[in-house]
Amino acid sequence: MLRFTLERFVGMVITMALVSVMVFIIMEIPPGDYADRYAFRKFSGTGVSVTEADIEAIRSDLGLDKPMVLRYFDWIGGIVLHGDFGQAFAFETSVVKVIGDKAWLTLGIMLTTLILTYAISIPVGIYAAVKRGSSLDYGLTIFSYLGLALPNFLLALIMLYFANKWFGADIGGLLSARYQDAPWSLAKVWDLIKHLWLPAVVLAWSAVAYQIQTMRATMSDELNRLSVTAARARGVPEGKLLLKYPARLAINPIVSTIGFDVNRIFSELPIVAAVLGLTELGELLLKAYLDLDMYVAGAILLLLTFIIVFMNFVSDLLLAWLDPRIKLGA
Amino acid sequence: MTDATAGALAKQEEKDRQKRLKYYSASQWTLIWWRFRRHRAAMVASLILGLMAFLGLFAEFVAPYGPTTRDTMYIDGAPQIPMFCDQNGCSARPFIHSVSTRRDPVTLRAISVPDPDKRVYVTFFATGEATRILGVIPTSIHLFGLSEPDAKLHLWGTDDLGRDVFSRTMYATRTSLSIGVLGVLISFVLALVIGGIAGYAGGMTDNVIQRVTEVVRVVPIIPLYMGLAAAMPKEWSTTQVYFAMTLILGLFGWPTLARRIRSQLLSIRGEDYVIAARLAGARPGRIIGQHMLPSFTSFIIVDLVISFPYMILSETALSFVGLGLRPPTVSWGVLLQQAQSVRVIEQTPWLFIPAVFVVVAVLAFTIIGDGLRDAADPYSEAR
Amino acid sequence: MLNVENLSISFRTDEGLITPVQGVSFKVEPGKTLGLVGESGSGKSITTKALMRLLPGNASLSGETRITYSAKDGNEVEIHKIKPNARSLRQLRGGEIGMIFQEPMASFSPVYTIGNQMMETIRLHRGCGKREARELAVEMLEKVGISNPSERIDQYPHEMSGGMRQRAMIALALSAGPALLIADEPTTALDVTIQAQVLDLMRDLQRDLGMGMIFITHDLGVIAQIADEVAVMYLGTIVERGATRDVIRSPKHPYTQGLLKAIPSLDTLHDRLSPVPGDIPSPTERPTGCPFHTRCPDFISGICDINTPFEVSPVAGRSVRCWLHSDVQGGRSAA
Repeated sequence: MLRFTLERFVGMVITMALVSVMVFIIMEIPPGDYADRYAFRKFSGTGVSVTEADIEAIRSDLGLDKPMVLRYFDWIGGIVLHGDFGQAFAFETSVVKVIGDKAWLTLGIMLTTLILTYAISIPVGIYAAVKRGSSLDYGLTIFSYLGLALPNFLLALIMLYFANKWFGADIGGLLSARYQDAPWSLAKVWDLIKHLWLPAVVLAWSAVAYQIQTMRATMSDELNRLSVTAARARGVPEGKLLLKYPARLAINPIVSTIGFDVNRIFSELPIVAAVLGLTELGELLLKAYLDLDMYVAGAILLLLTFIIVFMNFVSDLLLAWLDPRIKLGA
Repeated sequence: MTDATAGALAKQEEKDRQKRLKYYSASQWTLIWWRFRRHRAAMVASLILGLMAFLGLFAEFVAPYGPTTRDTMYIDGAPQIPMFCDQNGCSARPFIHSVSTRRDPVTLRAISVPDPDKRVYVTFFATGEATRILGVIPTSIHLFGLSEPDAKLHLWGTDDLGRDVFSRTMYATRTSLSIGVLGVLISFVLALVIGGIAGYAGGMTDNVIQRVTEVVRVVPIIPLYMGLAAAMPKEWSTTQVYFAMTLILGLFGWPTLARRIRSQLLSIRGEDYVIAARLAGARPGRIIGQHMLPSFTSFIIVDLVISFPYMILSETALSFVGLGLRPPTVSWGVLLQQAQSVRVIEQTPWLFIPAVFVVVAVLAFTIIGDGLRDAADPYSEAR
Repeated sequence: MLNVENLSISFRTDEGLITPVQGVSFKVEPGKTLGLVGESGSGKSITTKALMRLLPGNASLSGETRITYSAKDGNEVEIHKIKPNARSLRQLRGGEIGMIFQEPMASFSPVYTIGNQMMETIRLHRGCGKREARELAVEMLEKVGISNPSERIDQYPHEMSGGMRQRAMIALALSAGPALLIADEPTTALDVTIQAQVLDLMRDLQRDLGMGMIFITHDLGVIAQIADEVAVMYLGTIVERGATRDVIRSPKHPYTQGLLKAIPSLDTLHDRLSPVPGDIPSPTERPTGCPFHTRCPDFISGICDINTPFEVSPVAGRSVRCWLHSDVQGGRSAA
């Protein structure tokens, strides 16, 4: 097990290193560089005319005149050694300050969504597989198709509309206005929970639709296995039998796609955040892209990807624990 | 038993035998088609998708107005549904009531008021704006219009600039579907090359390619698209943006398909018929193309069909938040930019009609994909 | 101890109702072995699944079916009447009747140790604690000839060899102390040498524990080694039955004769094997009259393809379902 963990850990580090290169390239793609934009933002509207020399000075100040490879190592070195993600020029402060608390909110949304997804899709998928061919099974299939076809922003709008209609106004966002800048307290956490369900439902929607189908399909396969008949022939009670034998193997595909689900959540997050007015990383990322604030965007993209890679690592370990055959194959 | 019934029986038997013979000798594709035809939902979905493609392709003819034509007389106007009867009796021809503009005495906003006594009849193949079908065939005939040349029929209402939602949706259908097709094609070519090399070469090459694939798979895809889309220079023309978008969508859509091609190639690399081909001195390209790919072409097609929804949803999402296609280009996502708030649901819900197209298109592709998968699976017959 | 009368099983399918088992009757005595022989598709596995009520949801037993079993405590259990969720059914499965399957790998769950699955069964049926269950499991593994049982018990199925797994499978089926063992082709997937070992083991265990046994196989050679009585099945009906020795020495039914001719033997090494010609028809296309007439070398046109043969007893203790042995040739068809 130790060797397996170590191997997966090294794999994770290599993937992250490659990801950081790709993220850096994306940060470098927009036309013009940081110095241009910095100068433009700093001096626009002040009446001061900016010369090439001024920009050149800023450029060498920030070390932007160095070759790309060196700049990459400056950037990644700052992150790894000092936890310094660079400057957020649109906010005129460090990226770390801008991201700050929002990273925790994002993590909270992600975890809530994941828990919601699995709490619904696993039992419902098992039930659909056992009751295969029933009208409930068909209903679930139709729901799954719809869940996959409905664009998340549309779902967010619909939910927002009905939430407004049924529960009154203050439902968008993550925190009520009076807690927005308040220090963390029990009341604030409770307020957060009251707001968290809406984005969690919107984000979990398509994942639930997808995973119910996965669970149903693998569970149906597992139910037909001889080992299930054999256990039944030994007199194992039906409820215990379902959970111990087919269900335990049937959740493997779900466990192995935890990283994929997190990926999907983060993928949808910027758009859902824009519609629901959530103040977390997704919304910040969208804003950073629209402002071409690439250090902020790069940092967020790196952070989100790191969480995904880490969740993949977790799912590998979980899989090895669930199915003892995997360790041997590793 | 009389001779006649015996003859009939023999005939019936012969018929059955012929049927079986036809079945056994049918090619793989014929079999897939037969099985697909039995999948009723997939057949309906194909029809709907075909209709959509037709509407998009001949948008100039189907849409009564251009995508940016404004009707200042009818701003934020509700859909006008042609009727056969009103308070003055019934008519065999569908008609609408003509509209006149008045100012609201309190808010001073311009409001459109239908005049219940003035009928304007709907005509088919009506003469309207001059346009070119597919940008080449000049015509001024449209699928439908009104009997009075000055009156305008807004089947699905208008937006805040008085642009016809029906016409815009038709043009948007063309853009969105074509972006999906191009995106899928680009990612298909990439997947074929990358997966083909990895699967045929194996070993170190495969390891390196797998690592890169892993990286592309692990980064959240929409934020990645956004990063590239944000980098598109603001001064680019709509055509440049359009092709840049297809490129971006295609650029990262390949990993799933590449994986499929790779693992299939790896699994049949050791099969006897492949080794035989290699021993016979066939070149790698020929071995892959002639001997290996045909054994799972049907699966590739299924994967291609299934990847359409992702392309369409991605394009819609990016355009929706302003990082994809830009006006004056119209796509489903661009149209939905106007439908970003709850206020729209309450006041001008018809702006959501393009969303129905998105949902229906994605559903259709998914159902067709499922139908094809069932049809392509040689064991689905056995059950 | 087990008495099966008129067992008929039907399945609801998209092609309509099919009945792969029709009017099967047999008895199993304590300490004796009944061999069920037939090709795949003859309905022998389905028959034994019905005894444990393990048939899928679209299967049903006919109204005339009666399956009675006298339990270890002396009570008569009417298996065909038990409700699917009843406690008595769970008691019956494993506790009264044990079952061994053809694929030892597939009948163990791969994600639990051998011991976990054995102890689960022991605790379910004997109501004892964890430690006691473990001791019983180790004892059972030792009995089936697994060396080093106290270590093997914590191994996963994939860590064992094929023969070892089959032994463990037997131990698992016997761990709750059933009085009747159903063995569904337990040696088919094994090498010939291991096959012989497992057969020896089963015979010894049966003698030691005094169990009744139903042994299913398509191989008459195996039957000769293990069964006291044999019933030959074809397309869901028993076509011939009798003491194993008698049936093998002088088979009456053309199908049994064909099966025996198909066994390779050292004496006839230079002759060609003569398998039964043709394939077993699918249950959806059941032939009229005698189900075997389509492949029968001695088929009498006008009788065998029209009328279903009765079960007749040409010699005491033997019975056969064939027009060749019926006195009432050309008579009315049997219901």
